[in-house]
Amino acid sequence: MAQPLSQLYQRFKQLRGRRIFIIPTRFGLLYAAFLILILLGAINYSNSLGHVLAFLLGSLGLVAMLHTYRNLAKIELTQATTKPVFCGQAIIFSLVFDNQSHFDSYHIEISSKQETSKSWNPFRSLSGYLHPQQLSPLTAQHTTRFSYSLPSQQRGKYTLGKIRIASQFPLGLYSTWGYFPNNYAALVYPKPEGTLPLPDATAQGQKLNSQQQQGTDDFAGFNRYRTGDPIHAIAWKAMARDDVLRTKQFSTLQGGQLAINWQDVSQINNVEARLSQLCKWVLQAESSGMSYSLSLPNNSIPFGHGETHRHRCLTALALYE
Amino acid sequence: MLGLTLGALPHFYYQPIWVAIIFLAMIGWRCMNIWRAWPLPSKRYKKQRWLQLSIAAFAVTLLLLHYGNLIGRDAGVALLTVMLGIKVTEIRSSRDFYLSSFLGYFLVVTNFFYSQSIGTAALMFVVVIIMTASLISLNDLTQSIHTKFKLKLAGKMLLQAVPLMILLFVLFPRIAGPLWGLPDDAYNAKTGIDDSMTLGKISQLIQSDEIAFRVEFADKIPTQSSLYWRGPVLWHTDGTTWTALDEKQYTANPPEIVSSGEIYRYSTTLEAHNNKWLFALDFPTQLPTDEKTHFTQDGQLRSDDNIKQRIQYQLSSQTQYTLNAGHDEFLQLALQLPENQHPRTQQLAQQWRQQTTHPHEIIELALNHFNQQDFYYTLSPTPLSGDTIDQFLFETRRGFCEHYAASFTVLMRAAGVPTRVVTGYQGGEINPINNVLVIRQRDAHAWTEVWIQGKGWIRIDPTAAVSKERIEQGMSMVMPLTMRSPLLIAQSQKLAELWQALRNNLDALDNKWNQWILAYGPKLQKEFLAKLGMSSPDWQKMVAWLVASISIVLLIISLFIFYRRKHHDPIARLYQTFCNRVALERGISEGPLDFANRLKQYYPDNAIEIDHITQLYINLHYGNQSASIEQLKQYVNRFKPQK
Repeated sequence: MAQPLSQLYQRFKQLRGRRIFIIPTRFGLLYAAFLILILLGAINYSNSLGHVLAFLLGSLGLVAMLHTYRNLAKIELTQATTKPVFCGQAIIFSLVFDNQSHFDSYHIEISSKQETSKSWNPFRSLSGYLHPQQLSPLTAQHTTRFSYSLPSQQRGKYTLGKIRIASQFPLGLYSTWGYFPNNYAALVYPKPEGTLPLPDATAQGQKLNSQQQQGTDDFAGFNRYRTGDPIHAIAWKAMARDDVLRTKQFSTLQGGQLAINWQDVSQINNVEARLSQLCKWVLQAESSGMSYSLSLPNNSIPFGHGETHRHRCLTALALYE
Repeated sequence: MLGLTLGALPHFYYQPIWVAIIFLAMIGWRCMNIWRAWPLPSKRYKKQRWLQLSIAAFAVTLLLLHYGNLIGRDAGVALLTVMLGIKVTEIRSSRDFYLSSFLGYFLVVTNFFYSQSIGTAALMFVVVIIMTASLISLNDLTQSIHTKFKLKLAGKMLLQAVPLMILLFVLFPRIAGPLWGLPDDAYNAKTGIDDSMTLGKISQLIQSDEIAFRVEFADKIPTQSSLYWRGPVLWHTDGTTWTALDEKQYTANPPEIVSSGEIYRYSTTLEAHNNKWLFALDFPTQLPTDEKTHFTQDGQLRSDDNIKQRIQYQLSSQTQYTLNAGHDEFLQLALQLPENQHPRTQQLAQQWRQQTTHPHEIIELALNHFNQQDFYYTLSPTPLSGDTIDQFLFETRRGFCEHYAASFTVLMRAAGVPTRVVTGYQGGEINPINNVLVIRQRDAHAWTEVWIQGKGWIRIDPTAAVSKERIEQGMSMVMPLTMRSPLLIAQSQKLAELWQALRNNLDALDNKWNQWILAYGPKLQKEFLAKLGMSSPDWQKMVAWLVASISIVLLIISLFIFYRRKHHDPIARLYQTFCNRVALERGISEGPLDFANRLKQYYPDNAIEIDHITQLYINLHYGNQSASIEQLKQYVNRFKPQK
């Protein structure tokens, strides 16, 4: 008995789609007050056209409700992408909205609230939406990309939380809104700053002399092929000679190697400031073409170079706790 | 702003000119701010602020001087107009904007105190559309929507609102007003006949084209010469002015009426005249059931209250009657004459009196006198001074109905025959469009009644003795064309006829409007709903019907709003136009390029154009924004297949 009923309810929910809320605005209430005033006046003077106007405006108010509702009714958030940013820069979520209705939508306000914890007060969920931005128009049956930018205030993972779309279009008599709960998140790296110089690369490098230094620039010899070696590094000519797969080994000429350690910034007291300094070093090391490693108390990343490596290091810094 | 101006426009007609000047000046100021960046009053512009405040103070003072108060209807409306104008100069926030928009709606309502014509209603719609568009504009924060689109949207919304409005209008339970006291000036004195008469007064009325009342006969229309619509009956004269009896005196007893002959049933729509009398064809067989009325001793049909709104009442009349045949309590009053006046008239009457004592013959003598001497019926009588009756009878001899009625009464009374003056309307014009008899102010008339023992009060119309046409064909036949239509049109007979036809049509429409829209009150609502099938309508039933029907209509409207099958893609439409122009048919699964290749073989001369159109369509349709719809439109419009 219960199961078909709940199935039915699920289907109904699907059909109904997202919940859209609508209430009159301050001006809507003012409008209603004026209407009642006009109607009272019309009754008092037994003025027929006064009745007509009051009824016309009343009907207009009802129709406006439908129009305001329609403005949001069929809008879906289909996609959100973002790129990591450094703290202080604006996080830009590229949101893709799909307007599935046959009508254009105008003037939609997008805002968001991070904190999604449940509160005993149901009205808490109504307020606290920040960073409102206007989006207009949303063409009928088209997707529209919108860059929603948010200030980043601290490093770490920035979850978008609930996105709220709201609109008062066309008459401003009603306010309608709906939510898109989601778990889209952006990564915020620490802000690169600090005055300490880069640790001495060579001094660090000599310590590691015995280790194999691998780079990409200078040919340093052959190694036997191991699974996972890059294909482009296979020495095909050498294979033609003796049927043994070898990979060419290169070494980096320029900066040598740099190990970035948590201990290097121990003279800075503040953890955030330390991370900022480390972040700056990572960027410096990356741009000067060195191979670098990062060791944090809870994580360590071996030597490497390049975009992916940088991202790995910065992510470790961003998420350090 | 345009909406406000339009809404205020009709007011300028009723209000002193300076109200309009201040209003327009304020609007102009605002416009200059928009176009030329003139400073508006604000904290930053102290000078402008002072100017604005002083204008406001000045306007209030003027209003006080002009009206004496600020709460009456006219003064209140003028105040609203002026203040709204001043408000426009200081609209800064959206709150100000909403407030002035809503006040603008209010201004539209105040229009209806003065006029409820079809034109005013149409103006109301235009104002509401513009106001709605400006509200949309206010909510269009970035001003990215085209004005034309805003107006279109506003119009669409209003159109969707209309069915709901009709339902509300029909079904919303009406309450009989007023809910609270009305200001004294709520009803203006209207032009129309009065309960006193001086010579020359009615002839002013004939300048007025205004409608006094309309009569719709159920079956047969009586002949023109029996269409006497009785109004106030005048007894007392001081030599120049004729006045009615004191109200308390003559309402005590109903008259004694015995009527016979054909019964005419009719429905009268009386315009508000702020007096108590109702007009009826002499003589109604009973009181109307629609209104609280009574008959007076002298045969007037009077309402218990002043007629402040257009009313409608059903009556039936018989045109042959005897009135107070046995006896009349006021007979002595019908012989009253001012002392020591009209010596020459008295002398003439005495002369007749010596010839005969029979009232019939005296009347005959008087009428013959009017008929055979050189008396003329004229719409512009010579102004009289001094002893007006003597002067008219023996010197000018050019008069209007009131001259004849008054002097005839004086003659009769001097000869000892009880006589009184009856004012009202005579005749009327049948509108051929809806067969409604329209009685205008210019049909105002005065005649007399003479009391003869055994026969009662007999109607004698001395005007008929002078001008038969007036009575038999009606006023409009007597009037020259120039008085019936604007000067320019009256130059040509054809134009004048056209004008008349147009006016008849408009009037027929106006009549329907009055009867159905403006008169729609608690009473008519009950009748109408009963006709629709609601048994014994009361407010509970109306509310139930209202809620049910509004829900249904809202549902229909929302279906209309939310679901639209047809795809409004201008690109696809243009391409379809192109496809329709060629003789070949595009296969269901045929891509535009394949179709183009086929077309090029068929129309080798048009190959370049076909390529262009196809390429543009593909670019546009599949997301390449470099192409423009305009271009595609041009190509498609120019495309002419040649074979």
